[in-house]
Amino acid sequence: MLTQAQLLEPLARHRTNEVVVATMSVTRPWGRLSDHDLDFASADSAMGHTADLALGIALARPKRTVICLNGDGSMLMTLGTLATVVGTGISNLVLIVVDNGTYEITGNQAVPAAGLIDYAAMAEAVGFPRVLCFDDPRKYAEAVPDVLTTPGPTLVHVRVEPGSEGPIGRSAEEPARYLRTSLAEWSRVLRDALEGDPE
Amino acid sequence: MASLNGTLRTLSAARITHVVGLPDNTSARLFDVLQTHPSIRLVTVTREGEAFAIASGLWLGGARPLVVIQNTGLLESGDSIRGTAARMAAPVPILITGRGYGKMAGAGLTPNEPRTSDLLTRADVDSTALLTEPTLDAWGVPFERCEGDEDPAAALARTIQAARSQQRPTAVIVARALN
Repeated sequence: MLTQAQLLEPLARHRTNEVVVATMSVTRPWGRLSDHDLDFASADSAMGHTADLALGIALARPKRTVICLNGDGSMLMTLGTLATVVGTGISNLVLIVVDNGTYEITGNQAVPAAGLIDYAAMAEAVGFPRVLCFDDPRKYAEAVPDVLTTPGPTLVHVRVEPGSEGPIGRSAEEPARYLRTSLAEWSRVLRDALEGDPE
Repeated sequence: MASLNGTLRTLSAARITHVVGLPDNTSARLFDVLQTHPSIRLVTVTREGEAFAIASGLWLGGARPLVVIQNTGLLESGDSIRGTAARMAAPVPILITGRGYGKMAGAGLTPNEPRTSDLLTRADVDSTALLTEPTLDAWGVPFERCEGDEDPAAALARTIQAARSQQRPTAVIVARALN
């Protein structure tokens, strides 16, 4: 099993110009590692729809890879999204399911069937052409460059230790820049950063 | 079968790039036509809440999406609209096909009826129509209703323009066939 740092640090090291959409327990930790206009905090809750948001960006910008750092609780709320992703035929989405088995930001209550769900198998059954599963930090770190550059869509199931992140907010005191503005303001930051991409 | 030329002209004139949603009997023909449309991409979802998050992401990426869903699907989409398009101030126009409006009118009722348990459980009334407009009001989504002889294509054009000028999700409820 990986720690949250073992999940995020290799990603931050190898990330270049990919859009990174983060939600729930990894939102603050990612914002501490990365300060990039192409980062997006889906931190205003939308009942599990962060992967859909990332899919929309990927559809609009097919030449740019979009990485979605999704929670396992969020993924369970919108499993149909796996079929929607495949149905679009896109190749530029990396959907990382951060499986800590809990609703971490509310105090680590267990998700249904915690520890029993094989998200990679689910994605493969739906038709994802590329699925990966990691619970070894070294193998994961070695695989990250390939994950970011090989066409997908790719689902990466990573088993991660539960942490202690509390509820996510937006305020001037937040350490991560993308949490210091409103979602509406940051949306314009990301739009501006993507302007000029080939469509 | 009604022609969709007016609706398609509106989508092209507004330079809509993606239609995101789920079909019902009113919108089915539109979805059929969009399967092979040369410039508008159809994204069919498994549940309506997905549509608002996908459309918001499309807007982030510079696209110009339209959401097309039935009002039943609207009712399941609350936190998706609130947490994505509304919080982002994303100009996402929504075409809502209005199930139950005919029954509501047939029963002599309007969308402004008190929402009593007696009314919401009546066999001759489809509660979806009774709840649609109060729900949009509660969520802060401006809307207009298009019914009878009104032109859905023109109403859709106004809705798209309103979403863009006000920078917020904005809806048209179409309680008749598309043209």
